[in-house]
Amino acid sequence: MKLLEKIQLTIGAIFLSVFFITIVIQVTTRMISISAIWTEEVANYSFIWAVFMGAAVMLNRREHFKFDLLLKKLKGKAKSTLVLINDLILLAFSFAIFYYGIIAVQNFWNYTWVSLSEMKMGYVWISVPIMGGTMIIYMIGHLINTIKHFNREEATSS
Amino acid sequence: MGPILVGLFILLMVIGIPIAFVIGIVALLGIMNVEYIPNVTVPVKMFNGLDSFVLLAVPLFILAANLMNSGKISQKLIDFSLSIVGHIRGGLAHANILVSMIFAGVSGASQADTAGVGKILIPNMKNQGYDKENAVGITAASSTIGVIIPPSIPMIIYAGLTNVSVGALFLVGIIPGILVGLGMMIIVYILAMKRGYPTYQKASWSNFMKQFLETIPALFTPIILIGGIVTGIFTATEAAAFASLYTVAVAMFYYKTLKLKDIPQILIDTLLLSSLSLFALAAANALGELMSYYKLASWAQEFFTSNIDNKWIFMLIVIGFFLFVGTFMDAIPAMILFIPVILPIAMSFDISPVLLGIVTIMTLAVGLVTPPYGLCLLLAAKIGDLSIERSFGAVMPYIAVIVVVLLLVAFFPDLAVYLPKQLNPNMF
Amino acid sequence: GCSGGGSSANGEEGSSDNGDSSNSGDGLKIVAAHNQTSPENPYQIGMKEFKKVAEEESNGKVNVEVHAGTLGTSESELVEKLKLGAADVVLVSPGFMSKTGIDEIDLFALPYMFDSYDHWEKVVDGEIGDKMADIIKEKSNNDFKLLGYWTAGVRHYYGKKPIKSVDDLKGMKLRTQTSGAIAEYWKKTGAVPTSVAWGELYQALQQGVVDAAENAYPYFVQQNHHKTKNGKYITETGHDYTTRFLLINGKKFENFSQEQKDTIMKAAEAAVKKEREALYSQEEEYKKQAKEDGAKINQIDRQPFIELAKPLQDKVAEEIGLEDMLKQIRDMK
Ligand code: NA
Ligand code: NA
Repeated sequence: MKLLEKIQLTIGAIFLSVFFITIVIQVTTRMISISAIWTEEVANYSFIWAVFMGAAVMLNRREHFKFDLLLKKLKGKAKSTLVLINDLILLAFSFAIFYYGIIAVQNFWNYTWVSLSEMKMGYVWISVPIMGGTMIIYMIGHLINTIKHFNREEATSS
Repeated sequence: MGPILVGLFILLMVIGIPIAFVIGIVALLGIMNVEYIPNVTVPVKMFNGLDSFVLLAVPLFILAANLMNSGKISQKLIDFSLSIVGHIRGGLAHANILVSMIFAGVSGASQADTAGVGKILIPNMKNQGYDKENAVGITAASSTIGVIIPPSIPMIIYAGLTNVSVGALFLVGIIPGILVGLGMMIIVYILAMKRGYPTYQKASWSNFMKQFLETIPALFTPIILIGGIVTGIFTATEAAAFASLYTVAVAMFYYKTLKLKDIPQILIDTLLLSSLSLFALAAANALGELMSYYKLASWAQEFFTSNIDNKWIFMLIVIGFFLFVGTFMDAIPAMILFIPVILPIAMSFDISPVLLGIVTIMTLAVGLVTPPYGLCLLLAAKIGDLSIERSFGAVMPYIAVIVVVLLLVAFFPDLAVYLPKQLNPNMF
Repeated sequence: GCSGGGSSANGEEGSSDNGDSSNSGDGLKIVAAHNQTSPENPYQIGMKEFKKVAEEESNGKVNVEVHAGTLGTSESELVEKLKLGAADVVLVSPGFMSKTGIDEIDLFALPYMFDSYDHWEKVVDGEIGDKMADIIKEKSNNDFKLLGYWTAGVRHYYGKKPIKSVDDLKGMKLRTQTSGAIAEYWKKTGAVPTSVAWGELYQALQQGVVDAAENAYPYFVQQNHHKTKNGKYITETGHDYTTRFLLINGKKFENFSQEQKDTIMKAAEAAVKKEREALYSQEEEYKKQAKEDGAKINQIDRQPFIELAKPLQDKVAEEIGLEDMLKQIRDMK
């Protein structure tokens, strides 16, 4: 799980750097009156990859913003139960992203980029089921953890 | 089906499902229930929501702010602000506001300001005898200026939604942002007189000049940035990249406060922080599809045009609505969901999209410091180790300032729009 | 597409039974969408005609819901929706169609492919238009069936100075579409193709970020580009008589009854006529307005521009294997 997170973070950070560098190239080339028309798409698509990887990691770290009033009030078994329910809901949604993400990839795999027609849109779309798939793995990990420590007071805090 | 989904939304939120996922789950269940929208639309709309060049500015502006914090440039800006306003009663509190205004000229988001400046100033203010409440309150409240003074991520999103020029919106934010800052300083001054907050010795001229020269390279960032966008030399996205690059250069080679090995961690922090709001944006885009299917927009338009004939009342309703929504939702998803509904009505009342934009953004900025879900408030309260209830109490007078400026802008648009109009009449 | 960002304000045109969209009984519901928000845009006028004729012809059994630039609906999104079945009838530009892997579409978008509306109409309404429709159907695996050819006008140069010859374009930063062949053409003229979002173009022209742009009268005059410092000299280069594709989901269409099919085809025919009429008359109107506002319009000998385009046309036609079609189009001039 830790390893997966690390890999995903690295991929995300690399894509972030790629789109950063691409935009710098775009400004520079425009200033010296050369046109590099591929930059916009490369930047856009790296950005999508970066965001989806980051979002999955943040789910694993339980850092997506939420109201924790009720969670904070509950203790022991009641709390573990609620955490379990929440994680099951999140697991189900992750599965939906994964499943429908694959359908989207199948539909759009052969679409091409506008500026670089040898590049397939599939390379970008596939980030969706990868996000969904890793979210599934993370949520299963959390579920196992919650069940293992079901009766412990602070078992599931972040 | 509508009411069931609203109920579900509330239920999921209360049991502690992250907001972005609540939005996504409601979108999915809603779309599953509509026969002719295929379910695959959910991930497709999420993907499409991010497929927009202008959004690339979001992580880049967060990156610029993170670099300023890591490179200790925030500290320099604080010292500089102190040398200007430190000698006024409540000097540190004034500096807190002033530095937020300067920081706002670089950062597109408010959280980075709360975190960066708050970490330095909240402990500092406590040491100097300010009560915890005020240290937290001022820090949280003043960072809302971050999204009002350009650059501003919510403005970029709004511009993308409405096809309004980003440059135009940025220009319109400057005066209201400064007014909010000045208004907050007045409140600080009154409080400071009442409670006898400390002052700093007036900086000597030579000391001020020294501070000033030291800070100039850092001060250049907002000037290049805003200037570049407003004149159209840079797009918002390009300006954000450029600002980050410039900040790296200044922090690494001029101040020597940033090392190459710090960069990967800064990149990761930026990625994670921005993916939070961007994932919420993506999910909101899916829910927006469902709302457009339910024809919420035409329904609302019909309702307003047949029941309300006064544009000012409409404006007040918009403000009230976004104040409410802002308490539990981020500005970005809130705009994605509701601007498409509100904009056509505003247009029929002859309210310009730019005006609606600044009003919306200022209103949603209040949401940054209102519980239960006010990110800047939560952050500042955490740094200051103060309960949310007491922090909120402390923020109240400053919220009043934002609301007053907001109403002024809404009802006397020329206040915000006059100057930009001279520069570019076509935009309004 | 013409609008840079793609997403734009919501201007939804509701069907008569507001809010309820389920198919009732033997009725058929058609979701039609395009990306323009203005109610006066020829796209919207055409789509409304489609709705009107379809509903009248079927005595209300076919119900058309028109979405005019509903939020977040860029052209590539419209194509995606058509494929997924989330929209039934959409209007798209060649650039977004070639993205789906139908490269042949590019032929119609090449500079100086057509030399007048007459020529364009003869081509798209004739044998060649039918052939292109077959290609679209075949290559999309019947996801897309063509209902008719619309236009978004003829594109001209407008910039900081009038152009009198190709040489005048040398070194000029020109805001133009970013798809391959078009960019390549402008590079050949010596201009520097530059990417600026549609919403930012007014300012870019005003502040001198770009020296020129190219578009059709109804689009750039509405945005007041002709009132900017770098946009007030219009040279009628006429380099692109634009083609837009009115498409329906082919697999759905096949499942319709013969009566429904006839209704749709009739409505499409009427819509094609209406859209073109609206566009042609708006083009006159906006040209007049540009003149009244003080823009300077000049004509130019197009021959050198056409000569420059020919090798590019040959090259692209060869790449996509449509040399015969290119020759036919040229012969129809
Ligand atoms: Na800002
Ligand atoms: Na502050």
